[in-house]
Amino acid sequence: MRKDQRDLHLEKLKGGLSEKDSGLIDGFFKKLRGQIDLPFISKNLLTDHFIKGFEYYIEEGTEVEKICELLDLKYLGSFYDEVHRESYTLDNAAIVYPLGMKYGQMPMFRLSAELKEEVEPVLLQLALDFTIKRFPTFSAVIKNGFFWHYLESSNTLALCEEEKDIPCKPISIILRSYRSLRVLYYKRRISVEFFHVLTDGSGGMVFLKTLLAEYLRLKGKTVAIEDGVLDVNEEVKDEELVNEFKNAKGDSSFSTFVDKKSLQVDGKLSKSNISRIIHFEMDADKLNSLAKSYGGTLTAYIASLLFMAAKSCIRKKEGLFNIQIPVNMRKFNGSKTLRNYSMYFNASMDISKIEDLKTLVPNIDAQIKEKGSEKMMNQMMMTTGKLINSLSFVPLFLKVPIMQSVYGYLGNSIIGCTLSNLGRISLPQGMKEEVEKISFVMAPGRPNRVTSTLASVNGKCVLTIIRCSNDPSFEKAIYELLMKDGIECEVEGSVEYES
Amino acid sequence: MNPKIIYPIPEMQSTFYRNLRNIARISFIAAALICFLINFLVKGKMWSLIVAWSLFSVWRLVFSLRLVEFSIYSHAIKVTFYVVILLILIDHFLAPGWAETVIPIILFADLLVMFVLFFALYEKKDRHLVSIMLLGILNLVSIPYSIHSWPIRNWIAFSFQIASLALFIVMIIVNRKDLIYELKARFQVNTK
Repeated sequence: MRKDQRDLHLEKLKGGLSEKDSGLIDGFFKKLRGQIDLPFISKNLLTDHFIKGFEYYIEEGTEVEKICELLDLKYLGSFYDEVHRESYTLDNAAIVYPLGMKYGQMPMFRLSAELKEEVEPVLLQLALDFTIKRFPTFSAVIKNGFFWHYLESSNTLALCEEEKDIPCKPISIILRSYRSLRVLYYKRRISVEFFHVLTDGSGGMVFLKTLLAEYLRLKGKTVAIEDGVLDVNEEVKDEELVNEFKNAKGDSSFSTFVDKKSLQVDGKLSKSNISRIIHFEMDADKLNSLAKSYGGTLTAYIASLLFMAAKSCIRKKEGLFNIQIPVNMRKFNGSKTLRNYSMYFNASMDISKIEDLKTLVPNIDAQIKEKGSEKMMNQMMMTTGKLINSLSFVPLFLKVPIMQSVYGYLGNSIIGCTLSNLGRISLPQGMKEEVEKISFVMAPGRPNRVTSTLASVNGKCVLTIIRCSNDPSFEKAIYELLMKDGIECEVEGSVEYES
Repeated sequence: MNPKIIYPIPEMQSTFYRNLRNIARISFIAAALICFLINFLVKGKMWSLIVAWSLFSVWRLVFSLRLVEFSIYSHAIKVTFYVVILLILIDHFLAPGWAETVIPIILFADLLVMFVLFFALYEKKDRHLVSIMLLGILNLVSIPYSIHSWPIRNWIAFSFQIASLALFIVMIIVNRKDLIYELKARFQVNTK
């Protein structure tokens, strides 16, 4: 908005209002201007967000006093009125992501919530303005250190955009003002896409829930501050910023890190990060009982489906297929950190030995229990720590090319697919009624052709298959397996981004 | 299986830069190899090395930009580094005797431009003090060389080096607090 347009909008706002209400609006904007010390363009943009907010509410017939209460400047805090220069070291999981990053390839994931009503972009933007200050590492920008990358706090404005592109498209982070997350809306869906350097699925979910809670508050709904929703006006707690990897205890073993090369699902790799997304929406209880009837957990059952589907989509008749399963370490010690705090293990099967679900599910379940145990995960964390320590004093300009060449061996070529299960997501009172479902999308890392995620909310379980090849047979195989097991599912997704 | 489409259909992605990058990579490698071959066959001065370094510099400066934290300061020091090496190569292999005068002038000019830009962009908080410091250090490195040949020649180079030193000291004094913060941040290590 230009200055004259802004003034016009403000005058239009006050037109038809009583003198008292006009005075309230004038006072509000005067206070706002005094509370923000941003570069000229950002200052105007932030003012525009509030003008649009007022316009929205007045059109809705809300009283000016009530509007001032909803948009109270206490929700902005002191975030935009001074430069807070603070640096944060990357956690041990995040450290590898900017090192292994190449052009057009960035480890991204997206968390989306589908609401019962169309998203109101004006309110979402204001909710983001109010929420971002509560997450200092999420509002930070990535910088090059001499030895490692690090995060530096930033109070530049975060903008929400309408979704127009392929999900999880790499974010440009080269400039100081570019954050490592983006907030998008499309029809009834609010999505947040994160560069994995910031957080993992659980930390991202806290951000999404808090953003949703703030959005719903602006919509006039009351949402309880519980179940992973943070109070946006509360002080940031140290426990939320802690690098829990440094607190790991136990032995280290390099063997937990390396694995044999995995077979990959057939199909030519697409140029973009994702070539298609398919969501299978199912009844969570039914799925859980089915998994139990096979003698395993839901994760074991879904992983078994992935193995079965992989077998039908790989021409080779022999060889190992590995599914990487991340483990949320918070479940072991109740940590409240919002940084990365997940480890992973590989569930492996020789493709020639995959027969049916009856034998497969208990086998995978046993692997999950053994390899995903606290002891094994701590061992892996210790190994990660040792590896990072050994590289600590190697300058970044040497580390980047080394890590880019090693990354494939330690990372993606030893896995054929990933299954990331966010588990049963509990929503607080007031949000539960407004959210239809939650989905989780993660771009496969090369050379993997597929990756999968699982999230359950309000009794609905969403299994998502994300593909980056031209061969659709994997998701078709999954669908057929689910049908064969009597699981009814609603199938949604994207078009083929690359045919 | 007929999925309901719930994602927007994206606009066609431009592949111009990606294609340009691929063409540049192939043609640069081919050109460097051809130059080495011709140079080897016709003998004479090592001009192919200068061609190869020039192509490598263009690749690094234009087609292979850093993915994290690109700033005018860091890019300027990168440009200076590649140009200085190129000048040293030309001086050594083709036409000797002038680089020791020209390089300090270039380094001083670069530092001066950085100095002006730094204060012009001060409000934008787009600071990258360590890059400027590196440029200053690069200047300082060349001082012992001039002192070594003192007082026989190269008054010009020496004058520019002293001017660079003065600029460098001013920069440190003016920004000492920010510099300490930035050095701490940039040199931190992630040890357990």
